[in-house]
Amino acid sequence: MLSISDIALGTVQVLVLMALSPLLTGIMRKTKARTQKRVGAGILQPYYDIEKLLRKDEVVSDQASWIFRVSPWVNFVAIVTAAFFIPVFLANSPFGLIGDLLLVVGLFSLARFFTMLAGLDVSSTFGGLGSSREMMISALLEPAVFLAIFVVAITYGGTSLSTIVESASNSAVLPHPQLIFAAIAMFVVMLGETGRLPFGNHETHLELTMVHEAMALEYSGKSLALMEWSQSIKQILLFALIANIFVPWGMASSASPYSIGIGMATFVIKVAALAVGVAFLESSVAKWRLFRLPDLVAIAIASSMIGLAFYYL
Amino acid sequence: MEPLQLDIMEISGAILLIATFGVIARRGFMDWLNAYRLQSIVLAGVTAVIGYVTGIWEIYVAAVLTLLIKSIAIPKVLTYVTRQLEMESKTETNPYLSLRASIIVSALLVALAYFFSQQLPFKSDPVVDIYLPVSMAQFFLGLLALVNRRTALSQVVGLLVIENGLFLFTLALTHGVSLIIEVGIFADILVGIVISSILLFRMSRTFDSLDVGNLENLRDD
Repeated sequence: MLSISDIALGTVQVLVLMALSPLLTGIMRKTKARTQKRVGAGILQPYYDIEKLLRKDEVVSDQASWIFRVSPWVNFVAIVTAAFFIPVFLANSPFGLIGDLLLVVGLFSLARFFTMLAGLDVSSTFGGLGSSREMMISALLEPAVFLAIFVVAITYGGTSLSTIVESASNSAVLPHPQLIFAAIAMFVVMLGETGRLPFGNHETHLELTMVHEAMALEYSGKSLALMEWSQSIKQILLFALIANIFVPWGMASSASPYSIGIGMATFVIKVAALAVGVAFLESSVAKWRLFRLPDLVAIAIASSMIGLAFYYL
Repeated sequence: MEPLQLDIMEISGAILLIATFGVIARRGFMDWLNAYRLQSIVLAGVTAVIGYVTGIWEIYVAAVLTLLIKSIAIPKVLTYVTRQLEMESKTETNPYLSLRASIIVSALLVALAYFFSQQLPFKSDPVVDIYLPVSMAQFFLGLLALVNRRTALSQVVGLLVIENGLFLFTLALTHGVSLIIEVGIFADILVGIVISSILLFRMSRTFDSLDVGNLENLRDD
């Protein structure tokens, strides 16, 4: 049974993730701007954006059906639900018994499915284009995600995130070698799921580079704020997953205030370091041609396959 | 053997495999050369680890030689050759297998290498257990790079990867053949690279391309 304090801790973790996610986006934008010798907006800019969008009126096309109105909410709810299962600063996620890594991936797919439907719903050309690209990328990424998850799951004995992170934080300093391959695959998957370069570009609204932006192009006001915020939350969730599975140091194993403080600090440092690293990577690579993306996904798949071979043979 | 040593050996084997993948997963010739250089540096590290684990000082000499010859001298020679050739395009435009197919095939080859090395009745020793499959995987990946590509320049890189695999193979099995033979092999590689670069120059002068398909045509004159 879940006690009251467990529920409170789990809820606090989710609230922390939701509150920190725009900051992470801001840090990444600032890093990218600085590496490109621009000054860039302050790292709190995403908060101001969301706050401004919430005050604005919403314009909805008269061609739009209920799917268009409902999908920001489906998106947001699915991703926040996924956030409940992900260990943030506690190794043992209080809601970990209810859902595992596969459920998280399923919830992400649900959110993505409704985003694609919304892109098609208003029958604008850009929305359809974005949806078709997103469909291609997600269909390619799916096998890579599952292979990487299987490598992690067989190493730590289960797909439950609490089990994985707990046994990861208890294992030796040198991880199992197959996890290096799984980490490579997860990193590629993370780039694809969050639409980072070389998969897509967040900064522009050019028709050649848009993937997520093309589907959210028709949204305005509160719906756009929801879409943007859930995208940031998804990003911080994936970063937290990678950081806590592959670099599980400093996670709090008990609920004492001291270890939670340590866990909190290391979590922020790990995720911020990963974000800065991804931003540097984004500054150094160009957007790949859409039909070259399978090459990258093939690297992820092959890497997980070698990880499996490493484990079994 | 201590668990820490085992861990270091396994991790270094994994890193060596990843470095080998760079030769398969990249497009440009300079990228392959950099991947080969990286792989040789990792190989030198692995050699030093084997030397440390087995406690034979001659292996350290082999590690230093690997570092000097394979990661500095050979890439230098090949970079010089590429500069001199002034080819139109230094990327492989049409390999026989597409890049993504060859990546998947090479993952299967790595699995195959692990399977084979389990079947071979060698003495059970941590060094053999860990590095034998890695060396066989390197051998297979080099073979794939060799047969998959059309230009002679990239085939040279495939050959070098195969040679790295064989080097690790002998090292893992015999814990270092005598130093004289080791030095002889390194000298052979250097001479082989020089000969193959002369061959490359001749090919590019005769055909204006490095496609080995041109060598199959018969001519009367």
